[in-house]
Amino acid sequence: MRDNHITDLLDNSPLRTLTEGELLTIRAHVETCIACRRSYEAAQISALLIEKRADEAAEKSLNVNPFFQTRVLAAWREQQTVNSLPAFRRLWNATGALVASMAATTAALAVLTFVAPSTEPAANQQTATLVPYSAEAVVLDQNQGDNQMTDDQVFSAIYADEDEGK
Amino acid sequence: MFRVAHRFFRERSLAEEAAQEAFLKAFAQLKSFEGRGSMEGWLTRIATNTCLNILRATKRRPELVLADLSENENEWLEKKLSDGSMDQHHNIEDRVIAANLAERVLETLPAEDRLALTLIDGEDASVSEVSKVTGWSESKVKIRAFRARKKAREALEKLLNLKDRT
Repeated sequence: MRDNHITDLLDNSPLRTLTEGELLTIRAHVETCIACRRSYEAAQISALLIEKRADEAAEKSLNVNPFFQTRVLAAWREQQTVNSLPAFRRLWNATGALVASMAATTAALAVLTFVAPSTEPAANQQTATLVPYSAEAVVLDQNQGDNQMTDDQVFSAIYADEDEGK
Repeated sequence: MFRVAHRFFRERSLAEEAAQEAFLKAFAQLKSFEGRGSMEGWLTRIATNTCLNILRATKRRPELVLADLSENENEWLEKKLSDGSMDQHHNIEDRVIAANLAERVLETLPAEDRLALTLIDGEDASVSEVSKVTGWSESKVKIRAFRARKKAREALEKLLNLKDRT
């Protein structure tokens, strides 16, 4: 049944170029096939829309903007000016903004790296000294505990000397 | 050039931009024109390829849905279905609505399919003429046109079926 449908016939060539025989086949088929009738309607509308669109395009293309020529010539001159610049200058024109922003970012990072660390620990130390058991001191001086000796170590250090004396 | 650009772009500003780009390319490649074919053909080919490239870069409408249609376009479709006449003699307003609707259908097609449909079905161009303008083989032109017709018909068919249900 699929082979008898007329959709391929509709899509093969523009609708207006179909022969009388092909049109008769289509019309006979759509009398009985509802799906193909809808396809035929859609194909007719599609063909009409495309023709209307082409008519409009043809008419619009006649009304050329009077300043179009001037605009194209200006663009051409501008392009010529750009092309006449040395290669490095053209490269700089194209990438200058990007390179400048990258340089600025690098400079900012360098400042943050060398200046910020020298001021920050001092502030931390001050806080820890002022309030030895404050939350900041506990959090910031976490490493301090690692350097402290345990009670057992202290005792063994003291009594080891005494044992040696004996 | 302007005519070619209007085949692709309905909006004047877009057509002008495309035509300008095509002119600039033509100026730049003027030395490569060997004078074997006509100057008009050479320019048309440059304009067509430029427009195709621009169109390829733009986003395609995924599909045509009923909600996309304006009130006028809905009415136009209903009128076409109810009176069943697909005659060409309508007023300017009617043509604008049809061209709008055509544009919506064309927006769902790939750039190449769109070109084939516009030239062959809209402007009565032959397969060999399209082949010359685009540089494609004739079989490619036929396939593109077939696919475009099928897609456009199916999009409208879907739309008409949706309209029936509402």
